[in-house]
Amino acid sequence: MSIYKDAKYQDVPYEKKQKLFQEVKEDMRWESVMYGCYECGICVAACPSARFYDFSPRVFAQVMGREDIDTFYELLNDSVWDCSQCFSCTRCPRQNNPGAIITIMREVAVNHGLSSAKKALQAYSRIIYKIMSTGTQVAPDMLQPDFFPDWGPDVKDVSENLDVWRRAVPPETMHTTELAWDVSEKTRLELYMIWKLTGNLEMIENIDEGIFMILEEVMEELLEEHGYDIDDFENVLED
Amino acid sequence: MSVTTTTPPKASMREFIRKGKPPTEDYRELLFELEAKGELEVQRVPEPYVEVETKYGRKKKIPLEQTWHHKSCGQCGHIPGYSTAIFWLNRKLGYEYHDPRDQTSCTAWNYYASSTSNSGAQAAVAVRNFAQAKLDGFFPMIHCGTSYGHYKEVREEILHHSKLRDQVRKIMDRLKMPFVFPEEIVHYSEWVHVVRQEIAEKQVLDFSGITATVHPACHYHKLVVEDAIYDRELYDGQRTAIVTALVEALDAKAADYSTWHDCCGFGFRHILVSRDFSRSFATVRKIERMKEEADPDVTITHDTGCVTTLDKSQFAAQAHGRNVGIPVMSDAQFAALAMGAHPYKVCQLHWHGVDMKPLMEKMGIDHEKAWQEFEEVASRLKDNGTEFMTWEDADA
Amino acid sequence: MPNLPVLVIGGGPAGLEAAKGIADLGYNSILVDKADFLGGNPIFADYAAITPDMRSAEEAMDEMIAKVMVNPLVDIRLNTTVAASEGDAPNLNVKLVNGKGEETVGVGSVVVATGFQHFDPGKETQMYGYYEFDDVITLVDAERMLKGGNFIQPSTGEKPKQVCFIQCVGSRDRQIGNFWCSKVCCGIATKEAIEIRHLLPDCRVFVFYIDMRMYGFWEDELYWKAQEEYKVNFIRGIVTEITKRGDTVVVKGEDTTMGRPMEVPMDVVILSIGMEPSEGTKEMAKIFHIPLESHGFIETIGGALNTVETKVSGIFAAGATTGPADLEDSISTGGSAAMKACAFIRKAELQTV
Repeated sequence: MSIYKDAKYQDVPYEKKQKLFQEVKEDMRWESVMYGCYECGICVAACPSARFYDFSPRVFAQVMGREDIDTFYELLNDSVWDCSQCFSCTRCPRQNNPGAIITIMREVAVNHGLSSAKKALQAYSRIIYKIMSTGTQVAPDMLQPDFFPDWGPDVKDVSENLDVWRRAVPPETMHTTELAWDVSEKTRLELYMIWKLTGNLEMIENIDEGIFMILEEVMEELLEEHGYDIDDFENVLED
Repeated sequence: MSVTTTTPPKASMREFIRKGKPPTEDYRELLFELEAKGELEVQRVPEPYVEVETKYGRKKKIPLEQTWHHKSCGQCGHIPGYSTAIFWLNRKLGYEYHDPRDQTSCTAWNYYASSTSNSGAQAAVAVRNFAQAKLDGFFPMIHCGTSYGHYKEVREEILHHSKLRDQVRKIMDRLKMPFVFPEEIVHYSEWVHVVRQEIAEKQVLDFSGITATVHPACHYHKLVVEDAIYDRELYDGQRTAIVTALVEALDAKAADYSTWHDCCGFGFRHILVSRDFSRSFATVRKIERMKEEADPDVTITHDTGCVTTLDKSQFAAQAHGRNVGIPVMSDAQFAALAMGAHPYKVCQLHWHGVDMKPLMEKMGIDHEKAWQEFEEVASRLKDNGTEFMTWEDADA
Repeated sequence: MPNLPVLVIGGGPAGLEAAKGIADLGYNSILVDKADFLGGNPIFADYAAITPDMRSAEEAMDEMIAKVMVNPLVDIRLNTTVAASEGDAPNLNVKLVNGKGEETVGVGSVVVATGFQHFDPGKETQMYGYYEFDDVITLVDAERMLKGGNFIQPSTGEKPKQVCFIQCVGSRDRQIGNFWCSKVCCGIATKEAIEIRHLLPDCRVFVFYIDMRMYGFWEDELYWKAQEEYKVNFIRGIVTEITKRGDTVVVKGEDTTMGRPMEVPMDVVILSIGMEPSEGTKEMAKIFHIPLESHGFIETIGGALNTVETKVSGIFAAGATTGPADLEDSISTGGSAAMKACAFIRKAELQTV
């Protein structure tokens, strides 16, 4: 039972919330990101998200320090995605790292396919696909006026002249419009092996099945071309 | 006991002398310990290198050449003049470097933005890149501020968690690559910092009339606070000296403003899918303040995300009548322009949002002529569908 | 009559009280101080008023100093440092060095009262700009001004309209490595806040804090008084950055009570710097082989039940040598150390009879 009468998610079983909380605490990084909090507010003072959203890194540190399971679950579903991961909060005199606490919480949310995580990452999944399948993100061909209408007329200029302007960039590795730079096949292969060996591909299945399927296909294909079977790569992170 | 004066001394009379040991451990010592135990291989910083001071007075080695350029997604993708300027500076100063295809991004897009990754994957990606650099015979130099900060974090995790090291070792064995870690993680802006006098010696444009505001990247100096360049001569060693030192070396004026320490508002995921946050923050907390308090000709920063956020947030803000309109560029582009680099063929300023023409005029650059020169090469490339701009074209 | 003197190292409040106590018990002492004056930090740092009585620090110290100066049993050595020590108590041979040369003295026991030094704000994790902005000063700077009977904005020389204190500078911080609370800064800041409000009734004074440490009678004599009579604004939330907008410094923090980030211009910012073990303390620990406890101060045995005895037989410690201490602590431990140092010599002499 939460100590607050107006607590949310009271219908979600406590054991479920507790399990998620335990997972956060069992993360390898936990000991070095959460000590104790004396509510000095330095983290909030330095935080850009605190000025814009109803978000407070101090609240995260307090709640996790108190081990308040119910409020933890609220944060996990509501404001955890507001953090801009700038790590200005590492000024904390107790050496807490609210930004990293949030990174771990988000990972747990993703691993359990929480609908709030799926919703937050909905518009983002094609970025995940790009970075995982090619090893780089932010391709020149992303600069389309309908994707960045607020960035200004230079986006339109770039998109209209993309091919020529891209060839007009001296470094040889950057002569591509589909990728930030030309990533070798050997490197992509190694990257795919890493995704499999760390269970990273399976994480994606929890938040976007469609992207996961396409990604798996692409990875399987390249691995096969080079004589590897995708199923031969077990997750070394699991004991 | 007589008191000579009761008014506190002015700040200019106060001198900070750091006494005592640093409050942190020396990561290099820990790296070498692990190497001695046979757990991993430490790639030494090659000579020639320059030593700089970090926050608590320890020395950091910055290599001058034989560098493996770990490129940045956002730079190469959307601000190609940024990466081009970095390479151009190396070429002009005569330092040998390698621009690999065998490089992945640090994949922080899959970590800070979405947390759809884990410590193991991130560490493996880092070590794979470092191993590749070693195999190629060069020392890694990181282009992106976030990659740099993230790799510093990965280093902490690897140094303190033997389980993670075991996992990475297993993965590297499967990849048939060695478990390598560099002695230092070096950001390209640290290299620009140590060669700033050489750049100044080759400076052909007069920047003495240019006022610049500096924006230091959060991920450069807030992640693993100790490992960033500090200089007793600048800000009395209280704020990081990076970028400011270069601006001053080029004779431009580095103007201060009250939100110097603030993040730019990049947010990672936010810059792509929740841009109202990034835009509002960048406009209200950074650009407007800079304009009100310093009215600079340009804002200089040293990270991809910061250049993107500060530059791209201004257009929509202007449509809402906000007080914006400061050109944004990287320290590399600023330095390259100072040395006479072509604003469009090398610095690729046409990919930037805010109008650069008034700044170029103040720098003494004939931008109309320059644009014509660029168009000439562009139309040649257009007619010949398989040709590219070469480094020789860029300097012609 | 006892022959062997007690060596008292440090002429601050603890050392002065110890020397006087030793003399009152009929024993000789050698009182050594590296400065050319007695009184320690209250005099060195020009403390204005003692917390919480508001009595003049200089007056109070002069009183204490006078009592030992007239006392024939106290051998005062100014401009003198302890360079080495040989032997074990009660047969210690200590080398004293001053500008004119050196001398080795035989002493029966020692009271180390080398006190503390103020934290240097340049080592702070937060960005306070002490070395950049004229108007950012420390408690010590403020104390000096108040002693001279005024309080001005350093950059202009004008009377300030808005002043703030920032608590816990250099204390309670894992990143700096000073984990402890320095005990006196909340009291001193509140005292200074009252003094400033008294001097400048039109000036608003803020105290930015994490916890207000108001032990015992400080609660109503300082804290309630400051809030109720002098309308000092206590805001719960520490400042993380001080920057400058035009000519004014601006502090950036969170008002945690309201749960909102705040940015406020200030005419003067006073950093409540904490205590650290002094160089003297560290030196004496080395010379007499006295173990330090985990925070870097001299370790006493027996915890709360024994506040002055160190692990080394015959060596005692008093005042801020063993940890953050306020004036009452220093006087009390000075007295206790005097008693034990003399008892040690008496016991040794009785055994040889």
